Amino acid sequence: MTSLVNARGVSKHFGAVRAVDNVSFEIEEGRILGLIGPNGAGKTTLLKAVLGLTDCDGDLSVLGLDPFRQRKELMRNICFIADVAVLPRWIRVTQLLDFVEAIHPNFSRKRAEVFLQQTSVRSDAKVRELSKGMVTQLHLSIIMAIDAKLLVLDEPTLGLDILFRKEFYSNLLNDYFDEQRTILITTHQVEEIENLLTDIMFINDGKILLDATMDALADQYVEVMSSGEAATKARGLGPIAENEMFGKSVFIFEGVSRENLSGLGELRTPSVADLFVAKVKGARK
Amino acid sequence: MIGHLTALLKREIWEHRSIYVTPVAIASIVTLGTLAALMFAGGFAKELDLAIFGATNLAGDAERKVVLTGFFIGTSWLFLFAAGVLTIFYTLDSLYAERKDKSILFWRSLPITDAEAVLAKLATALLVIPLATIVAVIATHIVNLIVTSLWVSAKGGDAGLLIWGSVPLLDNWLAGLIVMLATALWMSPFVGWFLFVSAYTKRSPLLMAFMPLVLIPLVEVIFLRSSMFAEAVFGRGGVIPLFRGMDLESFFDEDKLRVNEEFVSLLAQLDVMKFLTSVSLWTGVIVCGIFVTAAIYVRRYRDES
Repeated sequence: MTSLVNARGVSKHFGAVRAVDNVSFEIEEGRILGLIGPNGAGKTTLLKAVLGLTDCDGDLSVLGLDPFRQRKELMRNICFIADVAVLPRWIRVTQLLDFVEAIHPNFSRKRAEVFLQQTSVRSDAKVRELSKGMVTQLHLSIIMAIDAKLLVLDEPTLGLDILFRKEFYSNLLNDYFDEQRTILITTHQVEEIENLLTDIMFINDGKILLDATMDALADQYVEVMSSGEAATKARGLGPIAENEMFGKSVFIFEGVSRENLSGLGELRTPSVADLFVAKVKGARK
Repeated sequence: MIGHLTALLKREIWEHRSIYVTPVAIASIVTLGTLAALMFAGGFAKELDLAIFGATNLAGDAERKVVLTGFFIGTSWLFLFAAGVLTIFYTLDSLYAERKDKSILFWRSLPITDAEAVLAKLATALLVIPLATIVAVIATHIVNLIVTSLWVSAKGGDAGLLIWGSVPLLDNWLAGLIVMLATALWMSPFVGWFLFVSAYTKRSPLLMAFMPLVLIPLVEVIFLRSSMFAEAVFGRGGVIPLFRGMDLESFFDEDKLRVNEEFVSLLAQLDVMKFLTSVSLWTGVIVCGIFVTAAIYVRRYRDES
């Protein structure tokens, strides 16, 4: 496995505020990594550093390049969609394809046109005439037609209805993703993407709370739903979170084996959302 | 690299359609003006016959050339003025609009450096707009000459002699091209300043660009009792060191015309060497370079979120 992104002690300050605070991680080729964090956690700043849109302290290399200083070279092999659909409103679809074709060495116009044919985006339309969902489809069609090594999606489906969101991710998985491609996604709608992720990273207050593969997550974290005496017993084993649901207690354990917990109630792998809440609350204590 | 540049320049024209709409609009106005004048003149049949007769038999070649070159100069100023106004609005919008609608995030997701993006906008202001303008000037010139020669022929005049034989076409057009490009280069410090303001300001670029131009001279007069800034800045709007001390009076002076044929050549009025060796020109170009570098720097380093 080659690592595409390599961060060692990366920090970014805005005055006294540490948006990203001494963060280290790696992203390997062929993975789909979800970067999860509340608003203001430093997600977008970290993505911007990876994309070379902002300078940062520490060692950060993306595809072996210094993203801020070699942004142009980097952008030949990276694509990104930022949190709001940012295609210029005045441009026509054909003009957009003309422009990207002229500028981007790894863009296949044919591929983009095939993707676009599956949507209701007319090629002579201006972006301002399209709905938000259609703009995202257009953007995604362009991005998917670029043979890039790393795709970065920052809240790509924000403001889209559920149909568009589902379609977006299914297109991404079926038409785009393969072993040579790597995707980095941030989103608030964790439930929608947790099934497609291979890796997950939690970030809060500029620090990484969790960095694991989804497989490891199932081994390391267990959710137990129990009541009465079993609940008291479970509490004694040091759960990282406890919630009430339907009159029962729901515990999340970290690093406690399933054997030790059997008999205390129903065992499950916690959902990413629940685990995230547990981790963030735990970090605040 | 050339493909990149062409794509970037095309992009500017797609976004700012006024780059070609403005010269076309002026061309239409000039042509309509000519048509109206010809129709109006139709009411003076006797005077016209006399004028055509006079122009054919009495006037010299130089006189005929001066009249048509005069028309060329007159309409070209209109285009030049419009190009100036267009350039101000274009440059102030060019780096501001992309931040306002956040499309800068899309542009920066493509393999284009900030320097390339900003330099394409500079090239649009200093080359594309002047070239689009001169193309429109030449087209207008041709259309108007065709209209006028049809009209003269209909009145029984010899259009070949009176119109086509009396216009130093290439001379006029080449001079027009030089003046357009030289004016753009001469005004480049303003272009650089506008690009910088466009990249920097968070709101109302027009106000932000012109406020210092008003306030700094005012402060200088009040506190230093001098007007060096005003002279340096507004003095640029005066005379470009491109013209050979031409005064329009002698241009139209009949006595001199007959003596000096070369007066009807616009090219002969231009001193390109004097222009290119002018310290003032290159000082301006350096100032432009500083502002453009600052604009690139701001686009690259400012976090837009």
